[in-house]
Parts: sequence; C-alpha cells; structure tokens
Amino acid sequence: MAAASFPTREEVDFVVIGSGAAGGIMAKELSTAGHSVVVLEQGPHLQAADFKHDEWGYDHNFELTWGKPQGHPQTFRKSEQDTAEERDMVCGYAHNVGGSSMHFSGNFWRFRPIDFMEASVRGSVAGTNFSDWPISYEDLEPYYTKVDWEIGVSGLQGPWDPPRSREYPCPPMPIKGPDVLLERAAKGMGLNPYPAPVAILSQPHNGRPGCIHCGFCNGFGCEVNAKSSSLVTMMPLALDSGNCELRTHATVFRIETNEQGRASEVLYYDAEGNEQSQRTKAVVLCANGAETPRLLLLSASSRFPDGLANSSGFVGRNLMFNGYTSVMGLFDEPVNGYKSIPATRVIHDFYELDPALGFYGGGGIDARHPSRGTPMGFALMSGEVFGGASWGSEYKRNLAYQFSHVAAFDGHTTSLPLDSNNITLDDNVQDRWGRPAIRCTYMDHPDDLSTMQWFLDKTTELMEAAGASNVVGFYPENGQEGNVHLLGTCRMGADPDSSVIDPFHRSHDVPNLFLCDGSSLVTSGRGQPTMTIMALAFRAADYINQAAQRNEI
Amino acid sequence: MSHSRFNRRQFLSSSASLAKGSLLVLSVPAIVTACREASESRQQQAAFANLGAEEAAEFTAIAARIIPSDDTPGATEAGVIYFMDNVLGDPEREPILEALRDGLRELQYQIATEYNLGFFIELDVQQQDELLRANERTAFFNTMRYLTIAGTFSLPEYGGNRDNIGYNIIGFENPGGWAPPFGFYDADYRERGE
Repeated sequence: MAAASFPTREEVDFVVIGSGAAGGIMAKELSTAGHSVVVLEQGPHLQAADFKHDEWGYDHNFELTWGKPQGHPQTFRKSEQDTAEERDMVCGYAHNVGGSSMHFSGNFWRFRPIDFMEASVRGSVAGTNFSDWPISYEDLEPYYTKVDWEIGVSGLQGPWDPPRSREYPCPPMPIKGPDVLLERAAKGMGLNPYPAPVAILSQPHNGRPGCIHCGFCNGFGCEVNAKSSSLVTMMPLALDSGNCELRTHATVFRIETNEQGRASEVLYYDAEGNEQSQRTKAVVLCANGAETPRLLLLSASSRFPDGLANSSGFVGRNLMFNGYTSVMGLFDEPVNGYKSIPATRVIHDFYELDPALGFYGGGGIDARHPSRGTPMGFALMSGEVFGGASWGSEYKRNLAYQFSHVAAFDGHTTSLPLDSNNITLDDNVQDRWGRPAIRCTYMDHPDDLSTMQWFLDKTTELMEAAGASNVVGFYPENGQEGNVHLLGTCRMGADPDSSVIDPFHRSHDVPNLFLCDGSSLVTSGRGQPTMTIMALAFRAADYINQAAQRNEI
Repeated sequence: MSHSRFNRRQFLSSSASLAKGSLLVLSVPAIVTACREASESRQQQAAFANLGAEEAAEFTAIAARIIPSDDTPGATEAGVIYFMDNVLGDPEREPILEALRDGLRELQYQIATEYNLGFFIELDVQQQDELLRANERTAFFNTMRYLTIAGTFSLPEYGGNRDNIGYNIIGFENPGGWAPPFGFYDADYRERGE
C-alpha cells in the first residue's frame, strides 16, 4: 500500500515525534491498528546503501550523530554551580530514521527481575531517587519476547538468561576471539559466561539476511540490513500500512495545548525551514532521553509554566548514562577482534554486587576490540595506550601487531538517578533553529564510580587470567562528560509528584500526551538499554491502542 | 607483564576525542563534494587545491616520518598529503590550516637556528626525527600526527589510503565481510569443540 499523506490542518489520530527504537515501534503498532499517524523525524531517511565504513565521516565529522558542526551544539557542566561549556557533542544520538537503533552496537540484554524492584530488595540509597519501577519483569516479559521475534534477536536460552516465555528466533552469533579468551578465563574462575543476546541476525529472519561479519556495527549503519533497527524492522511496516506518513528533516520545536490542557498541535520546521503545524488528537513523544525533556521544557506555556507535563519538576531530572570500564591486553596469536559484531559472550555473575562492599552497583562484562574494530580509531590510540612509540617505524610495526592481537574486556554498569544529573535548556547557546541548546549537567555518583572501579579490577583479573601481556585499563574516574545512553529524564511512576508518566507512559499532566524512550526508565539497568526501550514501546502501544478503542485517549 | 592505570586524558577510547590533543577541531562541511576533486587531482598529479607546493612538500616529509615507508609503504604512498589538502580546504578548518602554517614556520625557524638550513626536506632523516622528537608535545606535531594517521586509515575517497595502503599496513583486508573462524582463538575453540 502506498504511504499515506495527511494535510497538516486536519487532525490525525497520532503524531509520533522521533522514529528511533521506541518511535519506530509506536509508528508501526499504531498505524497497523488502523490509526492515522504522522511521524516527525529530524534527520534523513538513510538506507543500507547509504552506509559506509566511513570513520572520518561519522566519528570526526558527526555525519550520523550531528553535533556542533551541523548547528547542534550542546553544553556541559559537572554541577549546577558551574557555567556550562559549549561542546561539539555531549549526549550522542543518531539523527535519521531509526534513530540510534540504526548505529548502536546491537547488544541486547533484557533487564532482569531485580532491575524492577531493586530499591526495595537492596534498600534505598540516601540522597538519590533510586526507586522501584511501577511494573515488574513479568509485566514486560511478553513484550521482550515480542521484540525478540518482531525485531529479530540472536541468542541462546539457558539457565543464565532471565526467564523467557519463548526461545530466541535466531541462534547465537559465532564466537569471536576476544570472547574465547574471556570465556576461558571466566570459566577458570568459576563464572558463567554465555552467548550475548544481540539485535543482529545470525541467520535470515523476517525477510532480512544474516550478518556478514563486516565489523562495522557500533557507530555505523548496517550495510546489509542484518542489524535489527527500527529503520529496517518497524518503519517499513508502518509505511506499508497505508496509515502512516513519515516526514523527514522535520524539527519539532513545540507541542501546543488547547484550552482543555490537551495536546492539540505539533509545531516543527520542515526541510526548507518553514514553520509547520500538524493538528492531532494525541502526541506520542519518542525523541530520546535528551530531546524529549528538552521539547517538554520548550513547550512551556502560561498553563504549564515549568514545561509541559512537568508539574512534578521531574522532567529532565535523573539522567543516567550507565558507567563503563575497559581493560586491554595483547595476546600471542591473532585475535582479530575487529571482525564481526562487537561482542559474542557476556558475564552476568556480577549483576548485583555484594551490599557488604559498602556501595550500590552491578553490571555485566563482555569482550571486544578496543576501538570498536575500526582501523583509524585504533591507529589513533595505539602507541600511547601501550606506552610505546606513537609515531615512526616502531609505532607502525607495533600498530600492525596490536590491531590484530589486542582484546578488551569491558564493564557496563549501573548509574543512580540523581536530581543533580539532568537535562535543562541553555539560554546562552542556540542551535541552528534558534532553539536553546541541550544543557547536560552530570557527575557520576560515588557509588557509580566505586562500581566502575570494582569492574575495572575484576576485568583486569580476567585479562590476566586470559594470559594477556601489556594489560592496561581505565574508567572515567573523574566523571563522565557525555554518553549515548540517555536514561531516566521523564521517569515512569504511579505517583504524579515524583514521576512524569504513569505505568503506561501517559503523562500525568496531559492526558493525550504519551512519552516513551530512554527517558521513561526508572533505573539504569546494566548498560544495554535499547532492548528494554523497545519492549516498553510495544507495551505502551498495546495500551494506547486499547485506550483508543475505548475512546479514552 | 606491565601494568599501568591510564586516566581519561591519556586513554582516549573514542577516536573523536583524540582531536583534543591537536589543533584539529572536529567540523564537517562540504567534504564529500571536495572528495571527487581531491581524487581527481591525485590521479592527475595536479597542483594542490589548498596547499602551496612548498608547504605540501614539507608536510609530506613530516608525514613520512610519522608513518614511514620502510619494509611496507607509508604515508607518502598512501597519499596522506592529498587527504590533508582535501580536509584542510574546508572553510571551517581554515584556522587549523593557518595554525599549521604558523607551526611550520616555527619549525623552519628551528631548522634555521639549529641546522642552518631552510626546510625540513633538507634535513636527513636522523635530523628530521630528532627535530620532531623535540616538538612532540606541540599542537603542530600532534595535529600533523592526527592528520597523517587519519589520512592513512580513512576511506580512499577522502584522498588518502590510496589502494588501501593504510589498511594493508595493519593487515585489514577490508573485503566487505568475513566468515568464521575470525582468528586463532576461535578457530582453536571450534577445533576443540568447546
């Protein structure tokens, strides 16, 4: 069926803002249920043929993520007492149909039952907003399984895996060298490594081909459509429904409300820079954990003076990045970690650290190539990292050896939700449209830093047990100054005083405004949030479709 | 086994963040359109679009010490100078080009005072290495290092990495895809039936 086209001055059933991990699912679920849907996406509709192994274009020129060079500066400060500095990029996300699901690593861990009730099991953490979710793993499990099959996930069900109602649709990806080294070391230490669940196809599924192991996943678009992004899984179905119109290069700057306090129009700049306004019966905001709070704050009015849906003051607060650590070492034989997907094994034995350690935290460990397998990225870091020459013939010799003989063991860890870590508007810096820039204020909680230190020590132990030489490791011990995980900034909760959306993603303040993306998360999980964002989107879409049927939007 | 702890500044996990050590400010524009021109000028050995002949010769010689041509080809064969000519032509990078020119003049001043010569290309390779070592901490050198590496390992369409010379240096065949086993350890794992 041909893609739909709707006049802006007539009400559609839904405007979905953003076409990423959550927005793509919303567009597909709402449009195939028969609702008229307009999707507004800031970026272009790139396809597999547009993607290249282009480190210079993507990593240095921000062609996929955009940043200051494209007219989208952001500002950063560690605390509210500091003046925020303008940066090329702080909160990173891809600007295109499919959003960051297009360029992410594909690591696709489910959250575990403990993630949803950890505050009551583990106990609260003073000075933080650490709390239970209003939903349980059991509530979300059917939707995790829906993601597995509709999006396409490769993995292996086993005793190490969170409880699941159906097996993975695709078997696990073939093991890589770094993961063999990790698995052997881990088993020697009595741990339980298992095949990493990934949103990358190990064999054809839903009409898409299996992975060709080119190695350019993380930060790149898949050139064969084997990565299970919204771009290639959901948006084609939405557009085929005949009920969905996708408008690219559409930059939303305001959600307008009517006299009843309901969202009524979405204002945006089109590709030509002209102001447009789409009338709608309801708005589903899926712009990510930085852009969603920004747009709500930009939509302040006399009725909503602190920003839309912000009577709690929680819009933008509780930003969580997840922590990370990395330890690298060199091995005697070619590891060739630059081939194939980022990671094929994971260790979840340290999902919850012992409270007796005196700090809260937990995480997972996987094995990778330290520069995401990219030649330029590794050539730029090689030398300095292992303490050898950084130029000249010795550098060149070392680089050639290290590129194929290196492995990294990485930790992916929890972040606590804090009032002081947040997204606000920076009135001193504007983007190319004149919108106040995203201002990020962030300093990892001491427990988060202790958790990273613990994982660095543990992965160093694993690296040594694996037989590596030249072992070096690091974590951001002075605090992170940016990330691509943008979580918690419009958290879900039953209490309108301490949350922005209800357990079904309806905003507490504006009944026909739904928010779903990384901002919805109550806690950070252990560092791979996309699977949970997608499961939440399927669950929210189910609820919205049912509510629409009852005429209760 | 050596152990060391790197702080964030030393350990730059994101290649983008490595720009901080150099003058290179990450910026985009018109690179893609400039690519065709760069590739054409390279093929025709035409004059550089943005660099003068003298500075191009000096930059080429410096790049040749950073990634030398020894038992394998280096920056010269990879055409790094064409990459530099291309990306430094971006109007937003003009301040970087100007800073590199200032840095080159400063280097040539050192060459005049210390070696009584006019140009980097007039030094023998020992002298060249000695001079660059003395300048290792300068923004000029770090920018040259950054651009030399970027030009060696970026896609050939940007002007460098000619005939995949950069990829070949590190054994990165770039066939578009691979099939398992990928390396020694996973082959061994399969063989043992782990």
